[in-house]
Amino acid sequence: MRNTSAAGRRYVRRFIPMILAYAVALVVSIVLMQRLEPQGPLLALLAVLPALPLLGLIAVLGIYVAEETDEYVRANIVRHMLIGLAALLGLLTVWGFLEMGRAAPHFPTILAFPIWCGVWGFSQSVAALRARLSGDA
Amino acid sequence: MKNRLRVLRAEREWSQQDLAERLEVSRQSVNAIETGRYDPSLPLAFKIADLFGMTIEEIFTNPSKEA
Repeated sequence: MRNTSAAGRRYVRRFIPMILAYAVALVVSIVLMQRLEPQGPLLALLAVLPALPLLGLIAVLGIYVAEETDEYVRANIVRHMLIGLAALLGLLTVWGFLEMGRAAPHFPTILAFPIWCGVWGFSQSVAALRARLSGDA
Repeated sequence: MKNRLRVLRAEREWSQQDLAERLEVSRQSVNAIETGRYDPSLPLAFKIADLFGMTIEEIFTNPSKEA
C-alpha cells in the first residue's frame, strides 16, 4: 500500500507493532504449547494467542480505510480489498463443495487471511504496474 | 467524465503535484481525474471548482450531454 498521506503514515505506525506482536505471539504460543503441553483453558489461550494481533491488524486496516481522506486512494484500496475478498469467497465455496463430496481434504482456515492479503496485494500491484506502463501513474 | 482540468492546470503552469497539494489529495488522484478514470465526489468537485473560481459545469462535462 504505497501511500504518503497522513492516514497512510499512521497506518504504517500501527501496522508495524501489530506484525511484530504477531511474530512474538506465534513463537511464544508454539514454545509454550510444546513445553507445557497444556489442557483446557490454557491450551485455548495459547492456541488463540497469535490470532489476537491479527485481529488487531484487521482493525488497523479498517481504521486506515476510515481515516484516509484521499477518496481516489481509498476507493482504489477498497476495490482491491474486494477483489481479494471475492477470490477468497470463490476459493472457499469451490473447496467447500469439494470437501463435502470428499474430493478434497479439510481446508486449513488459518490460510484465509493470508490468501485475502495476497490476492489484494497482487491485484493492487498489477493495477499499479499497468498504470505505470500506460503512463497513467 | 470528461473535464478541462489539464487545460486549466496548464494555463496556471501548475504541475499535477502542485494541483494535488492545493486540493490536499495525491498526485495519482489528480491524474486519475484528469484522464477521466475517476469521477470525483461532489465535495471534491466543488473544491476543484472553488480553486479555479469556476462552476463545476464549467470544468466537468455533464455525461448525459456528451456527444
